[in-house]
Amino acid sequence: MPDAQFPPQRRASAHWSLEIGNWELVIRPPAPMTFLNLLLLGGMAAAAIPVLLHFFNRSRPRVVPWGAMHLLDAALQAHTRRIKFEQLLLLLVRCLIPVLLALCMARPVLTGMRALLGGAKTSLVILLDDSYSMSAGAGAASNFAQAKDAAAKLIEQAGSGSDVAVVLMGGTPRQLLEAPTLDTVRVTKALTQLEANFGAANFPEALELAANVAAQMQHGLKEFVVLSDFQKASFSDGEAAARGRALQTLKRLPVPPRVTFLHVGTESRDNVAVESLDLPKLALGVNQPLQVRATLRNFGERAWPDLRVYFRADGRERGAQQIALAPGEQRQVLFTHAFDAAGFHTLEVHTDADALKADNSLAAVVTVWEKLPALLVNGDPNPEPLKGETDYLDLALSPALKAATGGSDLILTRVIAPGDLTPDALSKSRVVVLANVRQLADAQVAALAGFVANGGGLLVFPGNRVNTDWYHRTLRAAGLLPLPFTALAGGLEDGKPRAKIVVQSFTHPAMELFNDARNGNLADAEMKLWFQLGKRQEQADPGLASLAQLSNADPFLVEKKLGEGRIIQCAVPCDADWGNLPVRPVFVPLMQRLVIYLASQAQPPRNVVVGKPLAAFVSRTHVGRKAHFTAPDGTRHDAEITGRGALGYVEFTKTGRPGTYTLAAPDGGATPFVVSTARAESDLRQLTEPERKTLAESLQATLLTSVADYQQMDKDRRFGREVWKPLLWAVLALCFSELLLVQWFARRKGGKT
Amino acid sequence: MAHVSDFLTPAELQKVANLQVVAQRVVEGFFSGLHKSPHKGFSVEFAQHRQYVQGDEIRRLDWKVFGKTDRYYIREYEEETNLRATLLLDLSGSMSYAGAGRAPKADYAIRLAAALAYLMLQQRDSVGLVTFDTKIRRYIPPRSSVPHLRVLLDELQSAKPGGETALGNVFHDLVPRIQRRGLLIVLSDCFGDSKELLKALAHFRHARHEMLIFQILDRDELEFPFTHWTRFESLEEAGAHRMIDPAQFRAAYLDNLKKFQDELTKGCHRHHIDLVQMVTDQPYAEALAQYLTRRLAR
Repeated sequence: MPDAQFPPQRRASAHWSLEIGNWELVIRPPAPMTFLNLLLLGGMAAAAIPVLLHFFNRSRPRVVPWGAMHLLDAALQAHTRRIKFEQLLLLLVRCLIPVLLALCMARPVLTGMRALLGGAKTSLVILLDDSYSMSAGAGAASNFAQAKDAAAKLIEQAGSGSDVAVVLMGGTPRQLLEAPTLDTVRVTKALTQLEANFGAANFPEALELAANVAAQMQHGLKEFVVLSDFQKASFSDGEAAARGRALQTLKRLPVPPRVTFLHVGTESRDNVAVESLDLPKLALGVNQPLQVRATLRNFGERAWPDLRVYFRADGRERGAQQIALAPGEQRQVLFTHAFDAAGFHTLEVHTDADALKADNSLAAVVTVWEKLPALLVNGDPNPEPLKGETDYLDLALSPALKAATGGSDLILTRVIAPGDLTPDALSKSRVVVLANVRQLADAQVAALAGFVANGGGLLVFPGNRVNTDWYHRTLRAAGLLPLPFTALAGGLEDGKPRAKIVVQSFTHPAMELFNDARNGNLADAEMKLWFQLGKRQEQADPGLASLAQLSNADPFLVEKKLGEGRIIQCAVPCDADWGNLPVRPVFVPLMQRLVIYLASQAQPPRNVVVGKPLAAFVSRTHVGRKAHFTAPDGTRHDAEITGRGALGYVEFTKTGRPGTYTLAAPDGGATPFVVSTARAESDLRQLTEPERKTLAESLQATLLTSVADYQQMDKDRRFGREVWKPLLWAVLALCFSELLLVQWFARRKGGKT
Repeated sequence: MAHVSDFLTPAELQKVANLQVVAQRVVEGFFSGLHKSPHKGFSVEFAQHRQYVQGDEIRRLDWKVFGKTDRYYIREYEEETNLRATLLLDLSGSMSYAGAGRAPKADYAIRLAAALAYLMLQQRDSVGLVTFDTKIRRYIPPRSSVPHLRVLLDELQSAKPGGETALGNVFHDLVPRIQRRGLLIVLSDCFGDSKELLKALAHFRHARHEMLIFQILDRDELEFPFTHWTRFESLEEAGAHRMIDPAQFRAAYLDNLKKFQDELTKGCHRHHIDLVQMVTDQPYAEALAQYLTRRLAR
């Protein structure tokens, strides 16, 4: 063997040699293979046995003096080639049997990937599902405990030198530690202290985050292991598009990672959840009855014949109901309550059901208003009763005060002349109504735009005095008019066409009330004269929302957003000059709804799901100072107040735990927020095995069911795969083939061997 | 009841060295098993009629003459008109094959020839002998005298197989030498070119000879029972051999043998030649029976 071909050090280790005199027998495994019992490869020499036996038999033949040579010669001529072939085939099979047996006993290990992976360190990213469905199961047996255990094993196996990152998939995906680390002990420690999140698993976002994290990691080889219960709600086909995008992100990595799905935990389907709370979308006044519609669903297969549902307001139990929930059934429970004080109030619907507590209750914060100040800008004042432009509106918005019925109005109106529309007046109002105002000064328009942008509401009524040109050029240019007043339609004279409001199924929050005819019939009102609002293409603006339209298809009420606030534009005036709407009973609830709706938009939502940020507006004077959020566990967190328009803005993102968070502004005002778990997680059904397989295939991932499987796979990839089993099967198959061949040949020859 | 002929197996007779004793035992053993002895003699050639005298056998009366003339005449046969049989004994190399525990085919043929000669001479038939391999070794013309048996047996005793076979050529050569027509009894394995052999047999038939062939084979040649690697050395061609694993070729060999036998049988049938296959472990009696059947048919 020339030494030049094989470096000495390699020769010393990569082959087994036997020197016999001047001869050297060298057994060298092929490059992608190694052997655990290399010496047993010597058994391959047994391949020579059939050959030796053949020659031995030939060397000691029986000698028969034979007469019928001509018969024998004819047989030899006709069959020698075929018989030689058969003999060679048998010899080959018989030689292969000891060769494969020796190979099998030498325990060969395929190491095709070894050069790539053997000693190579990898970057391991574990995508750990900490959604609250993982809490199913009790204590150490919970799915989450199993997942943590699996993650710890994976990290332990990653070995020294490999960097590890754990991405938590529940709620808003985030990393367990702030950055990937080589310190596996630290990761393991953090894992043991980890508790299940209360959000839903967000796999696509987690995958994107993992891809970003992986890009920062040290090693070229990246392993992604997804540890999850593969809950149907989180991994359904609906997420396919998002997963596709995430996959593209993965593919953009310099070396695309290998993704493995590891299913952990068992499926527990017993779960009852308060699925949703249906709260009024409009601002609520003091003592105004609040209807809370709670939807409960039984996701499990167990029937709950007498499930008690409790209603709590500000922590005190205010009502309870008993319902029966069949498996898979969904039912609604209605609670009514009136708050006797203005401010923020929490309410909660709670039920005593299964062990997965997080979704057994659902809470919300409602704002109860003492008054909603509305500024009515009267463009056509008249001292005679009900002749002024805003007289009907004023009466409709505060009927109790005006009719002196002794009740309490939620809306507090103040009628002013156009000239009195000052920033000061605006600052004391939540809604401004422009009623037949001819035009405003530029400064007033700017102040009004700022007012709306910061969350105020604007309601615009036309009339005979409006300067449509100014409205179009100035007010619309400032974003304060959804559509221009293009032309008048109809006519005050008899015989002219009339228009009515089309009664349909309204979806707009301000109009939903009129889906119930008992709350007033909009079709009662008849318009003689009205403004056509914009042209067709202007009406098609996607930023516009049509609240209602007239019977001739002209818009009646349109809405547009500006900054944090909204503007609603009406096609008719709010007095009775152009039609009879103001004298119809439906006028009062319609106007109240519109104004309350506009006043309700000022604040960001106070009921969010876990993982979503909490946000609030505070006075601009606090910008630069700190506000404090108190979490449900009592911990206080500081939050910077930043400027946003005319207001200060504060945000808090660490909302991983459901419960009530309280914002304490520097001026001492406290604002509660309720963070609830995502109800999608309540459906504990998991993907079936074939579904998981399909999912894995769609992401070109490997699907495994245990850490042991992963370890085996990883071992195979790193250190090769032992192949003695297939070899043993091959030996058995060869033995069997030999038997069959012998019998077959013998049958053809009609002789015995 | 056990019969003497039952014990006359070739293996038993192999122990007896004296051919005459063998021949006697075979023939007598054979005849003692028959109900009707053919020993009274057969008339092969009619000679003349003579007047019946008292004491003549009634069965020898010629009833046809009696019918025509109303006189008793006896049919008489002349000695020289007896059957002329010639034994053609193949002494080629292939006849020296002997399976395990069995006599060589040549020995079997010699003993059979001796038995037949003895039997025929007992019947006062003329018996001749031709021994041959590739050419005629010895030709003893047929005689019917009793001392002629000794001549034949001496020749048979000294016969040793060896050399190649060319039956066709030998037979062609023989035809002109056997001028008087008679019965030719061939004792051979018939190995060789079957077409040539059949041509030669046809030649004999053309010369109006009756023919009876005893094809003498060893059991091994019929069954080819060899299993281990074997070196088959030719008995006829010195130095020629075939080294094979016989189990592999058994089917092909038997196939060839069957074809050969079929060809031979058909050819013989075509030329009205009786072909009797004898295996060396078969009693000679069967061969004698075949001969006598043939003899009676004349």
